[in-house]
Amino acid sequence: MASLGSALSIAVQSLNNATGELQVTNNNIANANTAGYTREVAVLNEATPVQEGNLSVGSGAVLEGYQSVRDELVQTQIQQETSAQSGANAQLSAMNEIQPTFTTSTTDIGTEMSALFSSLSTLSTEPTSSSSRQAVLTAGQNLATAFNSASSTLTQQQTGLNTQVTQDVSQINQLSQQIAALNPQIAQLKSTGQDGGTLQDQQDALVLKLSALTNVSVTQTDDGETVTTGNGTALVEGSQSFALQTTTGSDGMTHVLDQNGSDITSSLTGGDLGGTIQTRDTTIPGLLTQLNTLANQFATAFNSAQATGYDQNGDAGQDFFTIPSTVAGSAAGIKVAISDPSLIAASSDGTSGSNGNLTNLSAVQTNALPSGQTPGDAYAGLVYKVGSLTSDANAESTATTASLTQLNDQLSSVSGVSIDEESANLLTYQQAYEAAARVVTTIQSLFTVTMSMGTAAAE
Amino acid sequence: MRVTNMLPDMQYAIQQSQQNLSTALQQVSTGLRVNKPSDDPSASANMVVSLAASANVDQYTSNVSSVLPQMQTVDSAISSVVTSLNSAVTQGTEGASGTENTADRQEIASQVQSILSSVITQANTSYEGVYVFGGSETSTPPFVAASTTYTSAKGSASSPLSTTTALTAGSVTTISDATTGETMTFKAAAGDTVATLQTAIANAVSAGTLSAGTTATINAGGQLEIGTNSSSDGIVVSSNDAALGSMTAASGTSVANAYAYVGNSSVNTVQVGDSMTVATNLPGNQLFTSGTNVIGSLQNLISALQSGTSAEIGTATTAVSTALNDVSEQRVPLDNTISQLNSQESYLGQEKVTLTTQQTSLVGANLADAATNLSQAELQNSAVMAAAAKVLPETLLQYLQG
Repeated sequence: MASLGSALSIAVQSLNNATGELQVTNNNIANANTAGYTREVAVLNEATPVQEGNLSVGSGAVLEGYQSVRDELVQTQIQQETSAQSGANAQLSAMNEIQPTFTTSTTDIGTEMSALFSSLSTLSTEPTSSSSRQAVLTAGQNLATAFNSASSTLTQQQTGLNTQVTQDVSQINQLSQQIAALNPQIAQLKSTGQDGGTLQDQQDALVLKLSALTNVSVTQTDDGETVTTGNGTALVEGSQSFALQTTTGSDGMTHVLDQNGSDITSSLTGGDLGGTIQTRDTTIPGLLTQLNTLANQFATAFNSAQATGYDQNGDAGQDFFTIPSTVAGSAAGIKVAISDPSLIAASSDGTSGSNGNLTNLSAVQTNALPSGQTPGDAYAGLVYKVGSLTSDANAESTATTASLTQLNDQLSSVSGVSIDEESANLLTYQQAYEAAARVVTTIQSLFTVTMSMGTAAAE
Repeated sequence: MRVTNMLPDMQYAIQQSQQNLSTALQQVSTGLRVNKPSDDPSASANMVVSLAASANVDQYTSNVSSVLPQMQTVDSAISSVVTSLNSAVTQGTEGASGTENTADRQEIASQVQSILSSVITQANTSYEGVYVFGGSETSTPPFVAASTTYTSAKGSASSPLSTTTALTAGSVTTISDATTGETMTFKAAAGDTVATLQTAIANAVSAGTLSAGTTATINAGGQLEIGTNSSSDGIVVSSNDAALGSMTAASGTSVANAYAYVGNSSVNTVQVGDSMTVATNLPGNQLFTSGTNVIGSLQNLISALQSGTSAEIGTATTAVSTALNDVSEQRVPLDNTISQLNSQESYLGQEKVTLTTQQTSLVGANLADAATNLSQAELQNSAVMAAAAKVLPETLLQYLQG
């Protein structure tokens, strides 16, 4: 049978529920600007009704717990897009460093190459002029320097990226450890039917940071999240994390090994690490090969032309450029072999006044190198490649940023805190509390009435 | 859709609009649409090629400017030679007439002699230190007065040179013959001796390069003596051989009116267009000593005037006249080249304009477009800012408080 006592206990329960709801709202508002925070809602259920004879009477509401509002699918998409964005950014930042070297300036390879041929042409009008000869030598040195500095820009970037690999791997290991440490705690909460809540938020934030470093795939198990790299190398399983290692390979570059010591460098994609490795191992070596081939073939062609003529002393022309014996390292190693301007083989007949061989030297500009292109076209090809690699990385970065903005909107529409909404909730819960308090006051006055019933009858 | 926080979207929109603004501003301020290869990789690559073409055009223009005065010098020297030859023909015709006596002819001969020396002066014309009629031997005058005998600096009675004296490998000895107009060049190989040089001279005589009778002998003073054995055949000898020392003409052996050509037949060419090269010199042997032989014909006229008959003077005068025609003919291509150079100069000017236009269209910004883009970007940017300022501070709490 219903009693004032049971009514009071329902009212007290309501007060507790409203307090709980206010607590959640308060927490949501407090974390409105906390990165990675997932809004929580209080889960209220009807209490089991009380059966009184034929009547079933409600017995209030029960606060079952707090639930974070998540969307795992969007969360996964954000992780993947973050990976793609970081990868593109890593490439973009390297290319932005490389690009100025290949931008038309007073000292780029194209300009210096033109200057060398111009100086040869000037020499053809006055083959005995020592100042014109010196100008050819200086132009040759400037061209060699332009090759040297382009090569050094590329290799310096490569070295910088190499250091980045080590840093990225150490961060990945740290994050894996932290994710693994959270797994048992979350699993324990879940086993008792509770929501992962804040711990889950922390773990999601860590996984997102990890995604920015490399492409990862996450699966949910009873033991928590299992995290592997894109190629399947385990990073986290339950409470255990597996550290990646780094080692210097025979190519002098830092390689990444899994916990078994297998080299997984080339299979790492996405994220800062993936982008860094891609730029270090594919993009820059490709550019270096093109640059070295150009330097090598140009110097070889120029030396051959020089050998067909005679210098000012009537001796057969000797090498103008010194280049390493292999194509690799040609751009870094190219230098002018002669320091005496009279050794420029302008003459075709051994007399100092002849300019006949300058035609052969100038023809290097218009003749195809073994690569099938003229030196100018080969350099233009290199400029095109640098430009398109940079612009591709830029486009990729812009696209992923836009898509990430959209995905974040989507996620925040599910999991984000709306101050307006919370403000409205605040009012609702405040009223609920006030109403429950009113019930308590009412019951209290009823109790008073009940207690004074006898006294009133006696009067 | 539930909208919770508009700040990230606003930040993104502001950033996008500022990026557009910055791009538009850069295009307007630099006047360039392409500032770095990634702005337009293909235009940047074409730009490299176009800039190289531009640099070539600049260089061709500068080549035309430096070659033209030299060509003009060559032309004016030839023009003087033509004038001289004309006056030699006049003198010869006068000398050939039966009315002139011996003294008159001697007088005319000496006038023709001075014409010859003036022709030699023209033939030794130099432009900025470069002898323009010496082929590629540009550092020394190409026409040198010839002598019958040259002797070496090395060798003495006490320590004579001999046929077995070894020559320095790589050394060069040249004998230029005024009569044949040709030059023998002997480059010593390892193991060569004076005897090898003697054989080479004998071979050159058989081949007709050197006049008959030219020999190299060791004279009483122990020196190497190269001589023609004829008072009318002159030679010029030079050597850089250390064993022989320099070769000098023996005193009193110079041959009157004989000049040997010590230049060569090389022609230097200079590129003044992608497919246009011009010859910048005219080897003196081609112009003055080969074919109808300007110098030879003048020499003959002088000796005919000095000791010949009217008929001989007439023949010699006709030869000078033929040489004159020949020189005038050779001048025609030279004049053509000069006029080509003048028109090439204006063509290159046009080409430069074409390339500059091409470069502007490759990387330049269309200023009208760029300015429009800039004002649009400004407008968009202030709209985004205004929207952000209006939307972001709005919250329910404000209204509840109010």
